[in-house]
Amino acid sequence: MKLDLTPILESKRTFRRRAAARPIAEKLRMLDALRERTLAIRRASNSGPAKKPVVRETRPDPNHESLITE
Amino acid sequence: MINGMQAAGVIERYAIGGAVAATFYLEPVATLDVDVFVEFHTEPGSQMISPEPIFRYLRDRGCPMEGEHIVIAGWPIQFLPAGSALVQEALAKAVEKDVEGTSARVFTAEDLAAIALETGRAKDKARVLQFIEADVIDLDRLQEILTRHGLAGAWEQFERQFLK
Repeated sequence: MKLDLTPILESKRTFRRRAAARPIAEKLRMLDALRERTLAIRRASNSGPAKKPVVRETRPDPNHESLITE
Repeated sequence: MINGMQAAGVIERYAIGGAVAATFYLEPVATLDVDVFVEFHTEPGSQMISPEPIFRYLRDRGCPMEGEHIVIAGWPIQFLPAGSALVQEALAKAVEKDVEGTSARVFTAEDLAAIALETGRAKDKARVLQFIEADVIDLDRLQEILTRHGLAGAWEQFERQFLK
């Protein structure tokens, strides 16, 4: 089965055009609401357990042989 | 508040940039703060520019500090110096926009696109694409600006990457 994305993309474009054409005061109020939502999402995503870092820094092992030999 | 600061001579002139300025031309562009580019007054006999007079003016009027931002009407504002020739030119050419009876100086769409291309992060390039797709910039004017500021190569690369 194949999904034709054309009407979806066209509808998104239309939505964006309409949003762009709104009065600036209304768009700034929308920005306020967007900011509140972004902050709420950020707070929610930061409230879980801390993620394990992918890269860790470890102290060099003094007993380990150096790769560089004198 | 910022117009008042300009009238009081704390700053020479200002213009809103970044996502909030883009919102004047596009659909609302989500952001957490407002970028305000300013020409700072330099202290007599000093080559240093300092945002301190701005902070002092706003703090005296009850605006709290939040890290490197100062909060006006609930929005963290970042005051940025016009650090490149491109931004200085954009500041000079900024246009007056009316927001429910209050005037605000905003960068032109072409200057916003040029600055985004100069900044060059992925989100800035996406912004340039938004401007082009929304057909709100004069591409000839944009190219003139880019050529004048040595960004013709960046534009060619952008065109190859996204427009061809």
